Amino acid sequence: MSDTKKIIEIEVLRYQPESDTEPHLEVYKVPFSDDMSVLQGVQYIKDNFDGSLTFRWSCRMAICGSCGMMINGIPKLSCETFLRDYYPNRVRVEAMAHFPIEKDLVVDLSGFIGKLESIQPYIIPREARSLEQGEYIQSPEQFNAYIQFTSCINCTLCYAACPQFGLNPDFIGPAAIALLHRYNMDSRDGAAEQRMELVASEEGVFNCSAVGYCSEVCPKHVDPANAVNINKTNAAKDYFLRFLSPKGGSK
Amino acid sequence: MRAAIAVAEADPSLKVALISKVYPMRSHTVAAEGGAAGVKKPTDSLEYHFHDTVGGGDWLCEQDVVEYFVSQAPVELTQLEHWGCPWSRTADGHVNVRAFGGMKIERTWFAADKSGFHILHTLFQTSMKYPSIKRFDEHFCVDLLAEDGRCQGAVVIEMGTGEFTMIEARSVIIATGGAGRVFRESTLGGIVTGDGMAMAYRHGVALRDMEFVQYHPTCMPVTGLLFTEACRGEGGYLVNKDGYRYLQDYGLGPLQDKPKNKYMELGPRDRLSQAFFFEQQKGRTIQHPTLGAVVHLDLRHLGEAYLHERLPLIYEMAETFMGLDPAKDPIPVRPAVHYTMGGIRVDGRCAASLKGLYAAGECASVGIHGANRLGSNSLTELLVFGKVAGVEAARNAKSSSAGNSASLLKQAQAVEQRVMSLKTKPGGSEKISVLRKEMVQSMEEGCGIFRVEKTMRATCEKLSELRERFKNINIEDKTSVWNTDWLTAIELDYQLDVAQTMAHSAINRKESRGAHQRLDGFEQRDDVNFLKHSEAYYVAGGIPRIAYGDVKITKSQPAARVYGAAGEKADQERKGSHV
Amino acid sequence: MSKRRPYVRSMDGWWKKNPFFVEYMIHESTALFVAAYAFVLLVGLIRLGQGEAAWNGWLEAMKSPLSLVFHLAFLVAIAYHTYSWFVIMPKTLPPIIVGGKRVGPAAITGGGLLAAVVASIAMLALVWRIAL
Repeated sequence: MSDTKKIIEIEVLRYQPESDTEPHLEVYKVPFSDDMSVLQGVQYIKDNFDGSLTFRWSCRMAICGSCGMMINGIPKLSCETFLRDYYPNRVRVEAMAHFPIEKDLVVDLSGFIGKLESIQPYIIPREARSLEQGEYIQSPEQFNAYIQFTSCINCTLCYAACPQFGLNPDFIGPAAIALLHRYNMDSRDGAAEQRMELVASEEGVFNCSAVGYCSEVCPKHVDPANAVNINKTNAAKDYFLRFLSPKGGSK
Repeated sequence: MRAAIAVAEADPSLKVALISKVYPMRSHTVAAEGGAAGVKKPTDSLEYHFHDTVGGGDWLCEQDVVEYFVSQAPVELTQLEHWGCPWSRTADGHVNVRAFGGMKIERTWFAADKSGFHILHTLFQTSMKYPSIKRFDEHFCVDLLAEDGRCQGAVVIEMGTGEFTMIEARSVIIATGGAGRVFRESTLGGIVTGDGMAMAYRHGVALRDMEFVQYHPTCMPVTGLLFTEACRGEGGYLVNKDGYRYLQDYGLGPLQDKPKNKYMELGPRDRLSQAFFFEQQKGRTIQHPTLGAVVHLDLRHLGEAYLHERLPLIYEMAETFMGLDPAKDPIPVRPAVHYTMGGIRVDGRCAASLKGLYAAGECASVGIHGANRLGSNSLTELLVFGKVAGVEAARNAKSSSAGNSASLLKQAQAVEQRVMSLKTKPGGSEKISVLRKEMVQSMEEGCGIFRVEKTMRATCEKLSELRERFKNINIEDKTSVWNTDWLTAIELDYQLDVAQTMAHSAINRKESRGAHQRLDGFEQRDDVNFLKHSEAYYVAGGIPRIAYGDVKITKSQPAARVYGAAGEKADQERKGSHV
Repeated sequence: MSKRRPYVRSMDGWWKKNPFFVEYMIHESTALFVAAYAFVLLVGLIRLGQGEAAWNGWLEAMKSPLSLVFHLAFLVAIAYHTYSWFVIMPKTLPPIIVGGKRVGPAAITGGGLLAAVVASIAMLALVWRIAL
């Protein structure tokens, strides 16, 4: 590994539901080298100081979306955030904001998963095509219309960045709406109208007050704020089109 | 997940329980970068894909299964396109394909360099369409239930509460991925611990060809994070400390002006990793102050714009994790463990020897990878055989009767007691993290790219010692909710079993083939004695029993495995002899 | 019995916890200045409708030192609101494609600000000429 070890103080928000009434901070002194991520720092604590420290992680390369945490108050993937950038100061690690804490750094994501399921995140074909007919054809323009919104890794950092979600946990929220937009924009899909009801609903896009922080913290540059705000326009258009034509508007 | 969809499509009245210890979109398929192989170009043929795969696997493949595999590959990849997978496309709107190691023609379907990510998310999202699929997310499977010679369900722990649940089933499909985390330096996520392999193994199912562990030649030193083979497929070079493209010295040349399939950097992974080892022996690798011995993956000549389009994740990873710009600097890389070719022995229809049990994907050994997997065959494998497993499991479920719930419950309670005692028993002193460290270190030493009797023997002994010491572990966290300390211990238990099958299968294979290379008098392939699958069987309290099974050969007789110019010559001769 | 006991953290004072949120609150609160000034102008319009004396009275009131101080404060607040409004604008628009390439967020923000400055100058010039 590397040169002489430096020691960094990592302050972790601990919450053990079976013994604590509320979360509290604990400080650990962790030897580190320059290539160590915050995740590796937390793993070091678990392996060497306290086996009960609990957090999610897997791929270590910022693609599985498991290891989101608040690092010095900012939502980040801990695997691609490095201890060297905080040294010699102390770094504070907490569970992602706005979600209920299950234990230590693990939050309850069941609500988020429910929202993903609610938006019909799959192709509802505009026109049927058999496998013998081969793939659908998509021009570069059609492809570019949605590809950015496919990059979401469901890390939910954007929810930890969204005060409106914090204030109203029922808000479908940035990532789920970005995914909804991804399918709406896909030329293979024809179900934008079906998804509109949800977009305009009480849990829908109008919860967003354009804080824009979700897009700032997104590690994959999905720009969920953009998806949400485009859908505000779409919902408004739809509303007025419904007025004009009794059959109801489309997208 | 592909299997769950296949069941749901086969018969919506069948109930599917989809159990995963993480949310399904976190599974390690997510980290696959390069792409999935399936014949696409008019100049390509199923025959070519077959021969590349069988030769790539050093003739240890089940050839009838490979034939089925290559024929279904394009169908399944198209199916995924219909489900929304954003495959990269050509300007005219068709799916594009890229070159990959050991493949004669470009046939790797890709979604930039996040192919696995897009496949996994497409499947996860599509699975939500089917109401008959009930997911048990963040449920940890601790054992299978078997009775009357049939697999009839599983016992799981809900991680959020620590509570046990018994799931009765007439068919069970295992799709738990590989076991590469038994090694120290790997490309793999923390969850890749061979759980399913170990569970089937303990129920008497053989783990086949476990000695074949793939080292991916281009990984980030220390962490082992992967720089996809697509880096080379797109034209990247591998150079040693003299800036010399050293692969030409290892039967992969001669040098070409343009990237040429099955030449140089587009050779198979085992050969490239082995070449690194020899370069290191010769002192021609670069000695990096913090990263150790490395070679350079040079992408600079591809240009920034092209890299951003084709390899955006690689670009980001090089910048974030290594602080360098791949358009301006070469990337230091070295081999790391990437894939377990072997796995749960299943037939061509994914059925294991225990009735009602099926396996698909990396955890299974259906027989298409042989002694060395070709890059981009595994993503296709999980689609093709995921579907097969689903279809077969559905058929089996419909034709078999429900089990005896009372006696299954009794079994489940025994499992619960056993697993709970791990946590509740007093007085242990061994630390999980210490045992794990010793295991991965020993596997790296004994079962690395090159193997010799002496270190393999030491590894076998070390693993037996660790098995003993495991009985004396101490789990610090005694609580119920989200007890990862406890779950990690269960994983370590699985890992030790799987590691033992690898080490013992390896020491018994007295030849060199594919990813299993020896330097102690068995440097050659020995088709007389070892054109055979190894099969590791569980022996309670002892070391695995190693047996051997036949290899199915249909139309490709074992030949010298050659690449580069020699490979091209051999291809022509083979063609000539067919006419 | 499940031993889960999810802990929900309070949202009290959320906007003080992150500089980004503080900026957001400043942006939102400066909207009040925009509304207030619109109201001031509306009063002017009503006074105009009430005849010359009323209108002149309103003009006089606008010229008072206190009013000038307020105007300065309003100018700063509204300028900040304009600026931050254009900063967020790229996130609210569908992609704008020019010559096959997507226009970047900096260009949209820059374009918006430029338009605002040009419009302000034009307005100023117009008023100046009327005043002369």
